[in-house]
Amino acid sequence: MSEKIGIYVCECGPNIASKVDIEKIMQELAELEDFKDKELVIKNHKLLCSVEGKKFLEDEINENNLTHLVCAACSPRDHDTTFINVCKKTKLNPYMYQIVNIREHCAWIIPDIEEATSKAIRMIHAGMDRVLYQQPLEEKKLDSNPDVLIIGGGIAGMEAALTLAGKDRSVYLIEKSEELGGKSAKLKELLPRQGINLNVLHQKISDVQSNRYIKVFTHTELNSIVGFLGNFEIIIRDVIEHDNTTELLAGAVVVATGFDLIDVSSLDSYNIKKDDEVYNALEIEEMLSKNGKITLRNGKEPQKVALIHCVGRPEVGYCSKACCDYLLKIANLIKNQSSKIEVTELYKHMCLPNKLDEEFYEQVQGKGIDFIKIKNAEVQGTTINLTDIADAKKKLDVDMIIVGTAMIPADGTAELGVELKIDQHETGFYQEAHLKINPVSTNTDGVFVIGGAHGPAGITESMLQAQAASGKILTQLIPGQKIIPEVKVSEILEAYCTGCQTCLEVCGFGAIYFDEDKGISVVNEAICRGCGNCVGSCPSGSIRTRHFTNPQLFQEIKEALR
Amino acid sequence: MDQSDNVLIIGSGVAGMEASLMLSKAGKKVTLVEKLSLIGGKTIKNEETYPNMDCSTCLVAPIQQEILQDGNINVLTSSLVEEVKGDAGDFTVTINKKAGYVDLVACLGCGMCYPVCPVELINEWEENLTNKKAIYVPCAGALPNVPVINAEKCLQLNGTETCNKCVEACMFGAINMIEKDEKVEVNVGAILVATGYDMLDVSTINNLGYGKYPGVYTAMEFERLFAANGPTEGELVMRDGEKVPSSVAIVHCVGRAQTHYCSNVCCMASSKHAHFLHHKLPEAKIYNIYSDICLPDKTYQKFHEDVKAHSSKFIYQADRDKMKISEEKGNLKVEYLDNNNKDAFIQVDMVILANALVPAIGSDDLGKAMGLNHDKFGFIEAQPFRIGSVATSKSGIFVAGCAEGPKDIQNSVIQSEAAVAQIMSLLNT
Repeated sequence: MSEKIGIYVCECGPNIASKVDIEKIMQELAELEDFKDKELVIKNHKLLCSVEGKKFLEDEINENNLTHLVCAACSPRDHDTTFINVCKKTKLNPYMYQIVNIREHCAWIIPDIEEATSKAIRMIHAGMDRVLYQQPLEEKKLDSNPDVLIIGGGIAGMEAALTLAGKDRSVYLIEKSEELGGKSAKLKELLPRQGINLNVLHQKISDVQSNRYIKVFTHTELNSIVGFLGNFEIIIRDVIEHDNTTELLAGAVVVATGFDLIDVSSLDSYNIKKDDEVYNALEIEEMLSKNGKITLRNGKEPQKVALIHCVGRPEVGYCSKACCDYLLKIANLIKNQSSKIEVTELYKHMCLPNKLDEEFYEQVQGKGIDFIKIKNAEVQGTTINLTDIADAKKKLDVDMIIVGTAMIPADGTAELGVELKIDQHETGFYQEAHLKINPVSTNTDGVFVIGGAHGPAGITESMLQAQAASGKILTQLIPGQKIIPEVKVSEILEAYCTGCQTCLEVCGFGAIYFDEDKGISVVNEAICRGCGNCVGSCPSGSIRTRHFTNPQLFQEIKEALR
Repeated sequence: MDQSDNVLIIGSGVAGMEASLMLSKAGKKVTLVEKLSLIGGKTIKNEETYPNMDCSTCLVAPIQQEILQDGNINVLTSSLVEEVKGDAGDFTVTINKKAGYVDLVACLGCGMCYPVCPVELINEWEENLTNKKAIYVPCAGALPNVPVINAEKCLQLNGTETCNKCVEACMFGAINMIEKDEKVEVNVGAILVATGYDMLDVSTINNLGYGKYPGVYTAMEFERLFAANGPTEGELVMRDGEKVPSSVAIVHCVGRAQTHYCSNVCCMASSKHAHFLHHKLPEAKIYNIYSDICLPDKTYQKFHEDVKAHSSKFIYQADRDKMKISEEKGNLKVEYLDNNNKDAFIQVDMVILANALVPAIGSDDLGKAMGLNHDKFGFIEAQPFRIGSVATSKSGIFVAGCAEGPKDIQNSVIQSEAAVAQIMSLLNT
């Protein structure tokens, strides 16, 4: 079939028409020396994106049997999709079309009409050069598996499992320990704003266990995983007997591996021995759950208790969010146990970011607790030397200290991250795809991060994140629906690949693997996003990204820079 | 029609937009109702977002464009939900779509109609810092980039005189003065309320001098002052149009005593404002006056510490209610109780009040129209005692973002995605 290129110049009302000379553009394009032997259709239109304009374009493509299309119009951000959709209605492959932005790049920024016109001509010429080198590309459709692997059986993992599991979707929930429930199962009670009653959480454990669409594997961890959104091949194993493995298939993975608490005895400002009466909040919660009350190691009730906020915060460099809240809760529990116990709370910044926290704070303040705002504190056994906000130095002797310790990434976070190909934030927690607008997704499609693995989080937040990841999965992995992966992906020319594997290192998505038999790198097209990192890094020039090949780019640049 | 595939989303901020796109991709038909003539919510009022200083427009504009081009999403701007009848799985919703008098398809936002309009009005979207015409878009870059006419003030529409200047200026015949308000009825299976927040009116707080002294600004006013598409095109000049502040006090927790809650975002927003000031006015003295600093994300403290180290002095005040702002010899005097409970003061050219987030104006009526419970602050209540829930007191209606309480962008998005999970589960069973 002979080449027939359609070039359509949009006037965008007065936006382009009044700032560049459309007639001159069309005339000069028609006379281009290097297109002498090509058949060109050059037309202008008042407004290509209008209903009438789109119909005009569609008819033009069909009636002229165009093989290539260039639209000289606005920013691709505005109407690239519009024109692609027009192509899709015709027999022209949308990858045989190119948009050229003569509005933002010419009309709107160059005051001189002649200059703007000349730049527009060169840009359109570049677009014409490029489009000749473009290749038709076809979308692929892949079957997808709607099932989900959840790693971690704490409150976040259980919430996700319960939200996701159904007759069309099985959930595999793996948990390292012997039991479901994670850290929240150790609590004595919830915050007032969370309804206090812990039965809600215990109910979730039995709901998970009795759900026929959820298969729970305790004492189990991830062994290995390969694949992509819709198709992951997973091997799980017993935490001790690594040879004891099970193979699973799933379409998505939710990481809910939780957090740890920083070890208070590791901190410079805490000089304490093992049996000193210093407890972290979880130890207190466990004591309360087991014995119903707070006691010293000798079984007696403490007389003076100090609660210290923000312990380990300077070391980790972030606020752990939930600690102010739960230390208030513990102080309140102590006062409820006996109003005679003297309770002091030492805090730097009271961080109460939930709308219902402040009222609770006011209630607790009314219980005769001494709140001291401090600059810092050093602890020797159960003696606290502190500097308060007014720079006064004080010494406080108590018989029990409860520390609100920083939440840190759980053991094994780094290794699991490598296996799942998801990034870690500098704090060690997993990194979200975008902090603001894509907060539970990761850099690997189909892998989601929630709860303490995502960052310090209380129970409410963890549960919301679990539902958020579920929302993503329920809308991305619909049972029976095929997945359409990116079309503009990289491909490796076997003949040129030397097998140096540089591309494996630069690929941020784990989309390239090494074929040992052939001794070459291979792109998994379902994972590749077409970023082009591998193209730039390949010393033998054997990789190209479809629709952004070197000849295509050179053609465009050549004319633009002439 | 099968309602089970239809969803109504009220509010087009980050929460409403995220839910719309997710549901559309899953094949649901979404009606997205927005009170204003533009979508994007409050996020687009910010030049940059903390802590990574991402350009807000760059974050949100692609999402806005996607929404406007999505065949599954019907965007109704300048619209309010009037009545909701029915139950989960089968709601009938009446929406009042206010006439905008400009055809959304025919208009391409060339802007030829504004200069010819003889009417000058205060631009509320720009925090009253600038004017607009009776035919206007609230700001440059508004999406959809289509103006609307204020019918009460338009000389032609309010009957003052025959004007029609904008109609004559429009090359596309896009302005239609006889358009009428329209009642739109939709049937949906589920509803998401994502109506966002407003800012506490600080003129109601004594002693802070807002409205009295021109040097006192609210956080949102400052945000617009800094914005490149704002009233001063990003130039940090004070209300007189000339003076550049050489010293600025940023006051945290303004109105917390009135609201009885922490507004969650203000400490970071205030740190961001100090950062903005330092970058545009490196010589300026910047003070942050706070009582407690709230930095509830793994990424926040680092940013805050950088600001503290490089640009801004942080001053502790012992009692938020004791702050007093007055004018003395052309300067603003900010008096407070210091860390020793003693009176202290600083003198500055400009004060930025980091005021509290409050329930969106109108969310009360909306909640009542739908039979939803409000909490004691006026936010829409997620089911009480069902921890981590985005369900409201009425089955089939969900809430996300600041409509439920003050929160930052990511937590609004998280609630929105959570609500989508609930909606998908509800509609697919």
